[in-house]
Amino acid sequence: MRIVTLSFTIVRTMEQAEKIGTGSTEDPIYRGSGVPVPVFSKRLISWANLVMTLFLTAFSIYGAFIGADKAQAFFNSIPLSVYWLIFTALFIAAISVLPRLLQIRGLFLVHVGCVLILAGAMLGSRAGMKIGDKLFKTDTLRSGQMAIYEKQTAKAVLTEDAVQKELPFDVKLVDFRLEYYDPGQITIQTRQGESFKIPAKPGLKYLLNANLGSVEVVKTFKRLRMISANGKMTAIEDPNGGSNPAVELLLISPEGKITTKYVFERFSGHPAPNENLIFSYRRTISDFISDLEVVKDGKVLAKKSIEVNKPLHFGGYIFYQQSYDNIGGRFSVLRVTTDRGIGIVYLGYILLCAGVFWHLWFRHIFGDRLIED
Amino acid sequence: MALKLTIQGLLIYATIAAYLLAFIITLLRRHKLGTAPYFLGFLIACSAVGFRWYDVRHIPLQNLFEVFLVLGALVFPISIFCNRVLRIGGIAADMLIGVIVLFPAGFIFNAEPQQLPPALQSWLFGPHVFVYMLSYVIMAKAAVLAGLQLSGGSAKDNLLSPEEATYRMVCAGFPLLTLGLILGSVWGQIAWGDWWGWDPKELWSLASWLVYVGYLHFRYMFGKKHPRLNSAWVITGLIVIIITLLWVNLSRLFPGLHSYAM
Repeated sequence: MRIVTLSFTIVRTMEQAEKIGTGSTEDPIYRGSGVPVPVFSKRLISWANLVMTLFLTAFSIYGAFIGADKAQAFFNSIPLSVYWLIFTALFIAAISVLPRLLQIRGLFLVHVGCVLILAGAMLGSRAGMKIGDKLFKTDTLRSGQMAIYEKQTAKAVLTEDAVQKELPFDVKLVDFRLEYYDPGQITIQTRQGESFKIPAKPGLKYLLNANLGSVEVVKTFKRLRMISANGKMTAIEDPNGGSNPAVELLLISPEGKITTKYVFERFSGHPAPNENLIFSYRRTISDFISDLEVVKDGKVLAKKSIEVNKPLHFGGYIFYQQSYDNIGGRFSVLRVTTDRGIGIVYLGYILLCAGVFWHLWFRHIFGDRLIED
Repeated sequence: MALKLTIQGLLIYATIAAYLLAFIITLLRRHKLGTAPYFLGFLIACSAVGFRWYDVRHIPLQNLFEVFLVLGALVFPISIFCNRVLRIGGIAADMLIGVIVLFPAGFIFNAEPQQLPPALQSWLFGPHVFVYMLSYVIMAKAAVLAGLQLSGGSAKDNLLSPEEATYRMVCAGFPLLTLGLILGSVWGQIAWGDWWGWDPKELWSLASWLVYVGYLHFRYMFGKKHPRLNSAWVITGLIVIIITLLWVNLSRLFPGLHSYAM
């Protein structure tokens, strides 16, 4: 019973002591029974972390102004590498020296999370990979691109350092296809600047205005080809033809005169000087998909249809749908990475997230520990 | 600046009118009476969001018009949450925030429906943007309270001092800001194989997160010894958020992966 009373008294005393914090060297952040380090050093570490945070804020804003490519080079430069190392070391020093970071689980998780994110980033960086390769005598592919034509196989990857490396297997692009939102959109502009947007839905009749007449959408084509039959040009859908998306329209003038008009997605054409209307046809891409097969010694080891947000994982490599041949749609561009360090970064994310919610929501807001901390 | 004489536009104007009415009534110290048009405005804002969702057939968070529309609907629940759970008042300021965020949706931003590009077709799209929007509204409220502290005033319905209320708001918003940043990073990894792409939007988001990191560190170090500095820090945070949300998307200075969000 006496032990219980004594424990209760100690806890109460500690709680009361926490409420005294005023920003002096007696501040809660510097108190506690951690590593015996002078208070001055503890304050120095806190200040150093704050200053480093301000520096990183300034670097981030600077990086935003110079564009992604230059920012990447800037943040991977030697001076910034030194900065990252010092920042990580400061985090570790803070965790070791500031007792409250060890005692309060939320704060501990936040700071350990940050250390892991920085460590994972350094491990997966270009410099980190190069050091790792030298230490372990490996030749790791960090990141690169490969362009593959339909029905072709490839194993060569052009790395970010413009060096060609080979995968230990072949990748075959079985098929590549673009998918579009249906319907496409026809835009009609007058020379006076008036604009009409009409969905390319076959059968749709649209009144422009009393002076211009109306438009009727007759048919849409993916591979339009004009053929001559009985001395008359006719549009057909050619299954063996190249990609030539177009739409067939009927223009009905206010006087009732009907004219057939073909509007091509790729070739908007030039209106004659006496033509008042300018037409264009546009479809929006909904997806681009590469059907891939991983092949080794003639055997298909894996297959997947990859698209943006749906990469293929195989043999420690990850294949992302990055780009494609936007003229003929005949080849696909894949980004290949090994994602070293990503597991550590994700673990850091989990800890950071758990830490901030635990500390700020469940301790401060819902735990009513606002003023004390 | 143009009027939107569509159902969508009219719903936005009705919400603005309801929020304004609520604001005026609350200023006249009829708090309870002011709640009715505020709630009505919220219901109309929800209808506007629902209508947009039905119209574009995806969660309406793709461009600035949709984002500001959703911000306008989020103000009321956050206001009630702050009042009931966090014991933080300033409800009149919330009504005004609602009007301010709906104004560009009603008069400035292009409301033409857009289809989702492939990169946005991810389960992370909704959570990533929505969590950010929640945190932005909370941080806006924090900045208003910080401004109140700097001007020496205090919200009549506040149970906490403006400085403490500001801190509590940042405590509420910062985890969401963190989650938004992390979800975006995870999404970048899944979509492009890069958990960090050094894109201007990413860097501005990081900068806004870091401003609040700095604030929290500063407040842990000094507590309430420098209330004006604490408040200035929170206001700076909101300025960086506004740059992240608006300037980065609208300016040609910052081309990048987020350029579609106009």
